Amino acid sequence: MNWTAIRSIFVFEMFRFFRTIAQSFLAPVISTSLYFVVFGAAIGSRIEEVEGVSYGAFIVPGLIMLTVITQSISNASFGIYFPKFIGTFFELLAAPISFLEIVIGYVGAAATKALIIGIIILITAFFFVDFTIAHPLAMVAFLILTAISFALFGFILGIWAGNFEQLQIVPLLIVTPLVFLGGSFYSISMLPPIWQTISMFNPVVYLISGFRWAFFDTADVPILTSLLAIGLFTGICLAVIWWIFRTGWRIRE
Amino acid sequence: MQNIVEIRDLKKSYKGGFEALKGVDLDIREGEILALLGPNGAGKTTLISTICGITTSTSGSVTVGGHDIVNDYRAARSMIGLVPQEINLEPFERVINTVRFSRGLFGKRGDDAAIEKVLKQLSLWDKKDSQIRELSGGMKRRVLIAKALSHDPRVLFLDEPTAGVDVELRKDMWDVVAGLKADGVTIILTTHYIEEAEAIADRVGVIAKGELMLVEEKNTLMARMGQKELEVQLTEPISEVPMLLQSDALRLSDDGSALIYTYDTRAERTGITKLLSDVAKEGLVLRDVVTRQSSLEEIFVNLVNNGDNAEDAA
Ligand SMILES: Nc1ncnc2c1ncn2[C@@H]1O[C@H](COP(=O)(O)OP(=O)(O)O)[C@@H](O)[C@H]1O
Ligand SMILES: [Mg+2]
Repeated sequence: MNWTAIRSIFVFEMFRFFRTIAQSFLAPVISTSLYFVVFGAAIGSRIEEVEGVSYGAFIVPGLIMLTVITQSISNASFGIYFPKFIGTFFELLAAPISFLEIVIGYVGAAATKALIIGIIILITAFFFVDFTIAHPLAMVAFLILTAISFALFGFILGIWAGNFEQLQIVPLLIVTPLVFLGGSFYSISMLPPIWQTISMFNPVVYLISGFRWAFFDTADVPILTSLLAIGLFTGICLAVIWWIFRTGWRIRE
Repeated sequence: MQNIVEIRDLKKSYKGGFEALKGVDLDIREGEILALLGPNGAGKTTLISTICGITTSTSGSVTVGGHDIVNDYRAARSMIGLVPQEINLEPFERVINTVRFSRGLFGKRGDDAAIEKVLKQLSLWDKKDSQIRELSGGMKRRVLIAKALSHDPRVLFLDEPTAGVDVELRKDMWDVVAGLKADGVTIILTTHYIEEAEAIADRVGVIAKGELMLVEEKNTLMARMGQKELEVQLTEPISEVPMLLQSDALRLSDDGSALIYTYDTRAERTGITKLLSDVAKEGLVLRDVVTRQSSLEEIFVNLVNNGDNAEDAA
């Protein structure tokens, strides 16, 4: 394993992140604050409590998930697509490194950035609402697992994409709806039965439910089911990446 | 001299079936400068890309320093530096960071002294904190070279380092290459300028339509470059060259109907006048006289023409 190379990729990617630090941090902090104002204060004042938690606090895990998922995907997909776009990708191919090392470098950096932003949002949330975290370790573990698995997904997306439009279309048309409909802002149990059933096909439901369990010890689905779901998703992404590695799909001609 | 790169029957077909390399055999000697000369589309970039691991070959093998580029790719690639044809750099990155990144990719620890050395070698030291986008085209190419040299490669591939570069920068680049050779780096560069190969190469390989037509010492090649053939066609075939005409430069065609004389167009005396008067003295009757360039010269002329056509089309 060429750890020096992995570290180089990681550091280089993190530098890119810090170069645009204002954008990287400010945008999610502002949008999250807006969510708290609109949903927490304006609407939340009429909803009172969901599953024994104040509405303002209830949406915190969902908001963090929303941001970590979208950030992981966009960081990783952009991170690997950009070198392809400007033509510096050849450097990775000509270096004495394996595809696995490339994946660890880029996915690691993308997941780290998403985690940093997730934590910033968590801190921001403390300014708006009062809450305690029931299972802090599980919360952190969940966050890391989510960041990594969606960064893997983003990596695949970035390898697949042939232009910027394709890079954005999947998050826009598939991921964002799934995340919004995944119970970020409501409990699945609040829905009519038919929608509850449909929601069970949305993988993000399991993530948000599990993450909310780590916060408040209540969940829409059993925590084991949540773990299974994210494990499955990670497994699928890893399998696809392994296949790309074997075939050189969209990498080496 | 020892071979540092050995290429055996290397073939490459792109998706869609286009055969860009049709079985290339080539040995590159340690410490030499080898120029690969060929028109656009000849397969120069494909050959380099395959050796460096950017594309995969269809069949054949390549070893670098004895290491197979597929089975032992880490060892093989560690020895190689690549300067691509296109200037591909991140515009907002700083010079020193992108060079550090390249070194790291090759598994070498950050070493400020090594980075400083390579940046100074390419006269980039005072530009080390500049963003790439602030640099001129010539400087950008130097950054590419600095990146390729950042991990101290033994073999450096330069893909058309002077294409589209003005005369002054071209000379500049030649100096850089000469300096690298003095440091013991083996250099393979591609070009479609004959003068460039003539100026800096030790050996020259000519590549066209995916085939390596020849590889030769530059000096031998240049000596043969100016050669021309004069064919004296006779009315009556003869069985052997008459006494008076016998020389190394003259031979009889297979059917005995023509004398073929090889001469150097650049020589002070070509010997044609003497030849023709000797032919007359021997009582031979001429049917016709034809001159043609040696096969090598023909290759070059075609080469340049094709290259020009390709450029016109582009
Ligand atoms: N990715 C590719 N897919 C299909 N054909 C290609 C590709 N890259 C190069 N070729 C073809 O292979 C031939 C050799 O190209 P190249 O190696 O770039 O030539 P050179 O570097 O000598 O100009 C050209 O005819 C070119 O069109
Ligand atoms: Mg080329």
